Amino acid sequence: MSKLLDVRDLRVRFRLPGNFLSMRGKKPSHVDVVHGVSLDIERGQTIAIVGESGSGKTTLAMALCGLAPVAGGEVYFNGRKLQQDRNSRLNPDRKKVSLMFQDPVGSLSPRMTIRQALAEPFLIHRVAGKNPEEQALRLLSLVGLSEEFADRYPHQLSGGQARRVGVARAVALEPDLLIADEPTAGLDVSIQGEVLNLLTRLQKDMGLGIMLITHNLNVVRHVADQMAVMYLGRFVEQGDAEEIFSHPRHPYTAALLSANPSLDPDAKLGRIELIGEVPSLLQRPAGCEFRTRCPRVQARCKRSFPEPATDTDGHTFNCFYPEPNSHIMLL
Amino acid sequence: MNTPLLQIRDLSVSYRTGLGQLQALRHVSFAVPAGKIIGIVGESGCGKSTLISSIMRLFAPNAWVDNGSIVFRDKDLLGLSPDDMRYLRGNEISMVFQDPMTSLNPVLNIGRQMAGVQHRSSSSRADKRARSLMMLERVGIPDPASQLKRYPHQLSGGMRQRVAIAMALMTEPSLLIADEPTTALDATLEVQIIHRLQELQRDIGCSILFVSHHLGVIAELCDEVIVMYAGEVCESGPTRDVFFQPRHPYTQKLLECDPARIQQRTRQLPVIEGSLPNLVDLPQGCIFRQRCKHGIARCATERPLLAGDRHRTACHLSGTGS
Repeated sequence: MSKLLDVRDLRVRFRLPGNFLSMRGKKPSHVDVVHGVSLDIERGQTIAIVGESGSGKTTLAMALCGLAPVAGGEVYFNGRKLQQDRNSRLNPDRKKVSLMFQDPVGSLSPRMTIRQALAEPFLIHRVAGKNPEEQALRLLSLVGLSEEFADRYPHQLSGGQARRVGVARAVALEPDLLIADEPTAGLDVSIQGEVLNLLTRLQKDMGLGIMLITHNLNVVRHVADQMAVMYLGRFVEQGDAEEIFSHPRHPYTAALLSANPSLDPDAKLGRIELIGEVPSLLQRPAGCEFRTRCPRVQARCKRSFPEPATDTDGHTFNCFYPEPNSHIMLL
Repeated sequence: MNTPLLQIRDLSVSYRTGLGQLQALRHVSFAVPAGKIIGIVGESGCGKSTLISSIMRLFAPNAWVDNGSIVFRDKDLLGLSPDDMRYLRGNEISMVFQDPMTSLNPVLNIGRQMAGVQHRSSSSRADKRARSLMMLERVGIPDPASQLKRYPHQLSGGMRQRVAIAMALMTEPSLLIADEPTTALDATLEVQIIHRLQELQRDIGCSILFVSHHLGVIAELCDEVIVMYAGEVCESGPTRDVFFQPRHPYTQKLLECDPARIQQRTRQLPVIEGSLPNLVDLPQGCIFRQRCKHGIARCATERPLLAGDRHRTACHLSGTGS
């Protein structure tokens, strides 16, 4: 069976404001925000993209929806290549990929009622044979909101309710792939649970593939099948989520997992603390890009870039001196 | 040490809305002792922001104080003249906001902004610059001299938040209010910032009022924690006591819901059933009654008061154990 989404060596490059120095090649004229990312998603699966702000997670999502300039690489959707040219908005596959933005209230028009916002996708894509107004009400009940919300405006909703409307809008045209950018950022634990349970239910009912972008590791542990850890626009470790959680190999992943603040006021032991700041994308370190903050750095990391290596359980990581494999240590 | 730095007594704040009077805070009382870090946890809409704006006296135009006092070093902030209050802000009480990108001025470089914060000081420009450099160094910014020339958009998220913290602590205030300062950062930076805050707090000897809904961060950083629900304090006490032996049903539920606490991997995450009560038309009795499993008849008629010595709970059932 063909994969729902197959991304190969995707690059996103933004142009920097030019000046005389950049014309003479003394200043970088481009910045690579996503730098050679490959991933695939199967139907009904959830892949989580984890990484700090500025690591390129959102840009990756935008590129998959045709909202960011793709500089290289290929994206196959349902086995067909997605065209990245300007007219690609007309591509029927676009309907099948939907994006949920980070800020739920900001992504709804303040001048449209919820009913209008939910009917809009049907009007834009000229979906025949469906009454947009009826569909709006159907979608509201699908995400567990009562019909009285139909005539409200976005500012009259709470954060959790606005997220639900965001989910309803994203699944309106019955997409195959839902890209959720920080769907629970800024939500309280209880409402976060509600939104994630809703996504899980819709995934089960509609066979959605979900790409979940987040920096909340506690969420990833519970809902993701696959995960990828992003650092400076590259995946440094990717594979089965449970495997990575149980034995991370890349030092960044290990630090990320150990830094996860725990509820236990006593749990501070065994934490790997990183020092230093994230380097700028304009000045990528030579060699391994994590070496400036890596606790395991050695001379070789400065010279060459580590090619992906595969762990015994099949997940991949880019590191010369990875964390010891706990599988082997147990044997 | 005996008189707390900040003492809030029976504070009630309302908003005038089209639907009627919205009672955002009701009978909130707590103290911030000098040199302690106090965490405030609660869902959005529980009144955290109203509480902060009350302490800073930066009310929305439609807000008014129904009742209560906010005593900061034997002065009631609610009774101060606007000029006196202005003097306190920044000098004695300062604040770090959630999003450093919007709290820093995008068109001024860091150096200008950091000098601007010191506008009350009569020292020379060079001294102000030296002080800015020292402060940046203290919050762990590498090569501070070159950072002074940079603009907020040229810094990473973690750096921006450090700059915001440096600016807030520049005047060595006695109270720092931090409103979700780590929400926008990833876990590794979050830990770095928290530890830096802890160090600075020890050096300067200030108190911190740390508002967050990230329970893990609160557990790690704070000496005491205050749990708020729908505009009321429902539980408060030493962090360890509250997190290990939560007494209020809401706190218990909140802790159960945190995915970090659930060891077994699950697709179906627990939630608190029901929704927040309508603050315009308040229900009788306990505010959490409609979502509480343990309710007894008394909960429907009588509002529970915060009771207890150090670990205090507003619940009729506390003490009977659950």
